[in-house]
Amino acid sequence: MKVVIAKVDQNLFDGEAKSLTVPAADGEMTVLPEHMPVVTTLKAGTITVRSAQGEQQFPIESGVLEVRRDGATVIL
Amino acid sequence: MAGLKQIKTKIRSVQKSRQVTKAMEAVSAAKMRKAQQRALAGRAYARAASGILARVSGARELKGHMLTEARSVKHALYIVITSDKGLAGALNSAVLRATHADIEKLGLSPSQITVVAIGRKAADYFVARGYTVERSTHNTDTVTGKFINELVAMAVQRFSSEGVDVVKIAYQNFFSTFEQRPTLRTIFPLSLGELEAVVKDIVPVRGVFADTAGVERPAGYTIEPSEEEVLEATLPRLASIFVYHALLESQASEHSARMVAMKSASDKAAELAHTLTITFNKARQAAITREVSEITGGMEAMST
Repeated sequence: MKVVIAKVDQNLFDGEAKSLTVPAADGEMTVLPEHMPVVTTLKAGTITVRSAQGEQQFPIESGVLEVRRDGATVIL
Repeated sequence: MAGLKQIKTKIRSVQKSRQVTKAMEAVSAAKMRKAQQRALAGRAYARAASGILARVSGARELKGHMLTEARSVKHALYIVITSDKGLAGALNSAVLRATHADIEKLGLSPSQITVVAIGRKAADYFVARGYTVERSTHNTDTVTGKFINELVAMAVQRFSSEGVDVVKIAYQNFFSTFEQRPTLRTIFPLSLGELEAVVKDIVPVRGVFADTAGVERPAGYTIEPSEEEVLEATLPRLASIFVYHALLESQASEHSARMVAMKSASDKAAELAHTLTITFNKARQAAITREVSEITGGMEAMST
């Protein structure tokens, strides 16, 4: 699944990922491929992206996550 | 005719000025390219944020949120972006003039305007004309996310609870190296039309907004925790796109305007050096001719 994690002034992650774990407004949430479409706000915590290259973590203060059929996007 | 030595000094000083303007031209060219690259990097964000907004609100119109509601304007907040330094042609004065014209169009007196000046030229201009300049910062090449967030947070607060009815941003929009136009955009009340215009302006690839994967919500689209809260989180992020791109556009404009100004200065200096060299040669020739005729004159005087 295609994951994009973007800040206004830079892209933190842009590529294929196996899973994405985010601190959603009502608790931690893991997005796998074929996840149902959802949009949710995020609270402070850490985003974890698992891809073929391994695991990457990004601390965040807030953000919005959108999951679509073709991928997921996080804007911080 | 001026003395030979004076002309020579003049030529040297013109050539030195040319070296300086040449160097400034090269520096501006490099900085301009950097600003353009940064603008490109921000495209993914702009696209994602506007897509989310369109799907959450489910329509082309934004309604029902405080930050999108138009009111009659009694107090306006202007964010004006200019450069810190001059030597860039009509760049800054164009922005300032456009802002001034816009204020007059709204029919507001200086006491009904609050200005946030980014760049020294804007601060100087509005302070001199008796406007309230609430905040002024330098316009540096490094734009941090933190700075943008602060600015947006302030604008949101002003618009939502402190009596500001419209928040506008004025900057120099970059079209090409030779063409920049002063631009005013309304940040709050936020509208999709303005947003689309900003996303479209992101240089140099145009029309990127077209591929925002449809506006309709996909089947089973869940919004958590609620539509209001998602909008609440998304709208300020959209506003930060406005601010970020205005800053980048104005930087690209500044550097390209300066590059062009410096190029014409270099050309002029080269031309001047050439003219002065010809004057110098003529003067030297005249001096030699005069000396020769003096010598021959002296010889003739002695022989008689």
